[in-house]
Amino acid sequence: MLAGCGSKSNTKSADVENTTKTGETTTEKTQNEKTAAENKTDDLRKETLFITGLEWGPPSSFNYFTGVASFPVNNQNNMLVYETLFMYNGLSGEIEPLLAESYKWIDDYTIEVKLDKRAYFNDGEPVKIEDVIYTYELGKRYDILWSSLWTYIDSVESKSDDTIIFKLNKKDYNILAVTESLTNVPIHPKHIWEKIEKDANYDISEINKFFNESPVASGSYKIYSYDDTKITLVRDDNYWGKSKFGKLPAPKYITHILFKSNDAASLALKRGDLDYSQNFIPNVWKMWEDGAEVRTYLEEAPYYLSDSMPSIYFNLSKPGLDNPDVRRAIAYAIDYKKIIDIAMNGYSDVVEPALTVNNELESKYIDKDAIKPYQWKYDVDKANEILDSIGAKKGDDGIRVLPNGVRLGPWKLECPYGWTDWNATLEIIQQSAKKIGIELETYFPEDTVYENDRNTGNFDIVMSTPADVITPAQPWKRAHDILSAKELPPFGEQAYWNFGRYKNERAEKILELIPAEKDIERLRKLYTELTIIYLKDIPTIPLMYRPTYFFTVNESVWTNFPHENDGTGIPPYCFDGAGIKSLYNLKNK
Amino acid sequence: MNNYRKYFLKKGIWYILTLVIALSLNFYLPRMIKGNPVDSILSKYKSVGNTDTRKKLYETFTKEFGLDKPLPMQFLIYLKNLTKGDLGTSIMMYPKKVNAVLASALPWTVGLQLPAILCGWLLGNVLGAFAAYKRGVYDKIIFPISLFVTSFPFFIFSIILLYVLGIHFELFPIGGGYDYNLIPALNFEFFKSVIRYHTFPFLSIAIVMIGGQGIGMREMALYELNSDYVKYSKFLGIREWKIIQYVFKNAMLPQITGLGLSLGTMVSGALITELVFNYPGVGTTMFAAIRNLDYPLISGCTLIITLAVLLSNFIIEILYGIIDPRIKSAQLEDS
Repeated sequence: MLAGCGSKSNTKSADVENTTKTGETTTEKTQNEKTAAENKTDDLRKETLFITGLEWGPPSSFNYFTGVASFPVNNQNNMLVYETLFMYNGLSGEIEPLLAESYKWIDDYTIEVKLDKRAYFNDGEPVKIEDVIYTYELGKRYDILWSSLWTYIDSVESKSDDTIIFKLNKKDYNILAVTESLTNVPIHPKHIWEKIEKDANYDISEINKFFNESPVASGSYKIYSYDDTKITLVRDDNYWGKSKFGKLPAPKYITHILFKSNDAASLALKRGDLDYSQNFIPNVWKMWEDGAEVRTYLEEAPYYLSDSMPSIYFNLSKPGLDNPDVRRAIAYAIDYKKIIDIAMNGYSDVVEPALTVNNELESKYIDKDAIKPYQWKYDVDKANEILDSIGAKKGDDGIRVLPNGVRLGPWKLECPYGWTDWNATLEIIQQSAKKIGIELETYFPEDTVYENDRNTGNFDIVMSTPADVITPAQPWKRAHDILSAKELPPFGEQAYWNFGRYKNERAEKILELIPAEKDIERLRKLYTELTIIYLKDIPTIPLMYRPTYFFTVNESVWTNFPHENDGTGIPPYCFDGAGIKSLYNLKNK
Repeated sequence: MNNYRKYFLKKGIWYILTLVIALSLNFYLPRMIKGNPVDSILSKYKSVGNTDTRKKLYETFTKEFGLDKPLPMQFLIYLKNLTKGDLGTSIMMYPKKVNAVLASALPWTVGLQLPAILCGWLLGNVLGAFAAYKRGVYDKIIFPISLFVTSFPFFIFSIILLYVLGIHFELFPIGGGYDYNLIPALNFEFFKSVIRYHTFPFLSIAIVMIGGQGIGMREMALYELNSDYVKYSKFLGIREWKIIQYVFKNAMLPQITGLGLSLGTMVSGALITELVFNYPGVGTTMFAAIRNLDYPLISGCTLIITLAVLLSNFIIEILYGIIDPRIKSAQLEDS
């Protein structure tokens, strides 16, 4: 049945949420009785993990099909309610078993995945091979989040009642995309969704209207209640993974508070009303200096582990910006240290230009010595020297003009209004460029205007983060988003990567070779060559390193969150991929 | 009385005409903002790399929201749905209905604003009249305090309240609509929690309102107290309380207009209060809708505001006639 959406605060009906701590079935209680019995706030506080930063508006649905569902279904890597076959560990780069036990390569084009036979959905039905095949094939039938995967997969078939065979496309051969799918395709129960599909007459826009108020899924938590102020999940004490992990996750409830401003969230974290925040918090160290039991993943600056690189993209069709020397001069003129100190509160190292982030996981793909001669750093003299060498002379107004008469500016530097750290970054670039005779103007429109400008190429210079997802397909995914022109819509149409429409045949070739390669040495060569092309052509300039998730916790109620050198190898996020393992380690203070 | 009914019938027609014009403005104005709302949905589809998929998603959404049709056509569809009470589907909270979004936010806004405005208005007027009548030491205390409170920027007052009473003295919770440990239900515990969390935002609106109304009432009452009819009444030896009644009734008129307008616009929500106290309500919903070009949601919010303002104005017109016979006779002449 296609249910309407919840309008008021929604509580679980007793027949869905009918288990006690011991997992025994209780008699049906009315909502009032239940809330009255459970409103023992002190005990509840100790049982609840209060979090924020993963959702900002009231829930719109818990339906993955819509692509814009709310926490905890807003992210394909979130393992709380729906689970994937494997979970990615962004710290070690490993993929770890979840619904599956193991996987192996039968040959270059075939992966065999063994399902964990213990797994079952929260309605008691076992997770079967048919559910996995059904979920993957949903992407074939409808345009949903994992549809593009079918470019790289020929088929998903069952071999036995616990073994699945993935056959890769030989023409569009991409190991990375397929491996990534093992960690981010949320397995849906066939017996539930078949009915929903049928009731919706197999029309995706009708399926999208299904709110999915009480998802039947295999994860350790279920939706408990939600309204305009919070989303609460309750632990499924019958969770199948109890046998896999040896115990249940510690918090009985996880409540995501929907804050209306960053300041209110920071205040709540400092006071201990919140246990966990993924927001950008200015001057985070002041919290513990003021005596709050707050800490970050790293003890010292930069406090957080970075895995993405916000960058500026050049529109390569604009006269002046189409000149790599002009772009190089801008790259040398930018005061990166100032950006880190002022805009980023010191939460990043000074960026070393490359396609990779400066962590071990990605650095291993690069020959640092080989790319060094092509890398730039803040050096105004060098920037001026480059512009002088191409004959760009300063006019009366102090702005340089190329020998072909093209004036270097005014060009717009664009990012969304209200993203204060990004706004500050672009202000710094504007000042930096002025020093070398290039005129830039900052432009901060509303989000939607910015997105449209960026995607259609209606910009001069735009700030964006290439492929800011934690996935085993990094750093290829980032390199692809910066350099690939394959199937890229032209200016005027919506493109979601390579906004400046950069094109280089050799780079394209390497981008095809990398995902088909398993040998680390050959990968290193390919990535190094690709990075050199990038550093020579400069279609983008990385400005800073940034964590996908800022990880700040208050340990006044819950302790034992992951931290640097804790020996657990659990990455600094609690709900995505292998990060969920941290929930099993949490303890009440 | 027949004439009077005719007068209101005529007025009613004017109100309906205003509503139609307002409706079209509510519909057209948001759509004139630069940008495309479908982009805001699609920008979230980070994991979809395939261009065809992206394109198809784009087309599906464009079709679903009717954005592929010409604007006049979209307007007609909007009006048609409106007659059925359907405000459409929210774009930024897709697939949630606008009706559902407003139904969950509006009770918080009305629950916060209505008591705050009424209390502020009543207390303000009583204090203002009291100060004007008693003068002396009362006026010397009430008037400057009112002036001080009301001249404070609203958001600064909220922040000071939050900092001093909330963070420093920890008298009340600093944010939210109710204790996050609770599940909304009709029981005493939840009600108690709502009242506790209600206090700060309520005070921040009511106190500023008391100040403003107090000053207005004091000025009006002073003016009336010095008017000829009061002096004449005193000469005639009419009892004091009767005179005060006259004064109060006359001084009230502009205050009632103010109350009507406040009540009419209250449904647009107290944006600053909601932000500072992280309080649920329509204000931030509407703000987000505008920022995300959520046409159906913007139109839904503005429709409620329009209806509330028109309705409160209409009621004021009726009230005027009852309170002040002079206006009633003017209205009768009008018709």
